Amino acid sequence: MIPFMADGAAVTCRFTTGESTALADLAQQLIDLLSERAPDAAGSVLFAQLGIGGESSGPLDPALARLLPDAYRGDVDAASEHRQLTEQSLVERKIANASAVIASLDSAILERTELRLEPSEVQSWLRTLTDLRLALAARLQIEDDGDSGIGDDEALMVYDWLGYLQGSLIEVIE
Amino acid sequence: MVGVAQLVERWLVEPDVAGSSPVVHPNLNNQVGEVWVVESIVSTAVITQPDVERREQLVADVPWVTIVWNDPVNLQSYVAYVFRTYFGFSRAEAERRMLLVHNEGKAVVATGAREQMERHVEAMHDFGLWATLTRSDS
Repeated sequence: MIPFMADGAAVTCRFTTGESTALADLAQQLIDLLSERAPDAAGSVLFAQLGIGGESSGPLDPALARLLPDAYRGDVDAASEHRQLTEQSLVERKIANASAVIASLDSAILERTELRLEPSEVQSWLRTLTDLRLALAARLQIEDDGDSGIGDDEALMVYDWLGYLQGSLIEVIE
Repeated sequence: MVGVAQLVERWLVEPDVAGSSPVVHPNLNNQVGEVWVVESIVSTAVITQPDVERREQLVADVPWVTIVWNDPVNLQSYVAYVFRTYFGFSRAEAERRMLLVHNEGKAVVATGAREQMERHVEAMHDFGLWATLTRSDS
């Protein structure tokens, strides 16, 4: 790929088809993961059966837990109340951002053009690249500074590649 | 490419390595570090006279703070970008607070009413930053 470049208020980037497809696939994985916390998801039914209380308690999955953290430390009641009020909309916004990333990749693939992101799309990209890296880091057990990750080489490569993309995008818009 | 199951099911399924892999440019030396910081967060609560009524009012109105915590994932440049664009800090101030997160493990990024801090925390969670709120005297 060629890193992001500025084009007026927009930014452009040239991905190979393989890269575009891979990134769209990852964004879809993120949507699938977040959908566990969306309304009426099977996961909520499971939580209810386990008596955990659904959306009032944090996700058990470490990746979801990092994407949807408690707003209060050391205050279970306040964290639970806040989560009940805000988590659904947070999940929906994260899914909307990932969907926007997929849409921009799809149109670039379809039109065989370079990827071109308007400022609002850049915001979705920044957040989704971050969410993907957070989820992958949880899977790779990257928990402290200096952790290089435990997992297969390809997953580690993807994690590094997403970091490169994120860094390139920030450099362009800063 | 990595299969769907890898993100969702915690590595129970082997990745399908067929097909093209993305080109990788590792660039992760600038992640946010670890430590702890306490800023002066009640500097507005200046009491010049033994004004008991006002002092009681201030106690009742102890402000809340939004804290951003260090994590090993987010790039320093991203954290500084979020601080600058969301909170409106200057580049230098955004950089300073980002380095507090990096070096001290956390930084206070906003002070005010509880509801306002809850909105800030939610916005930070949108960005993927790890944030919490608490009373400034706790």
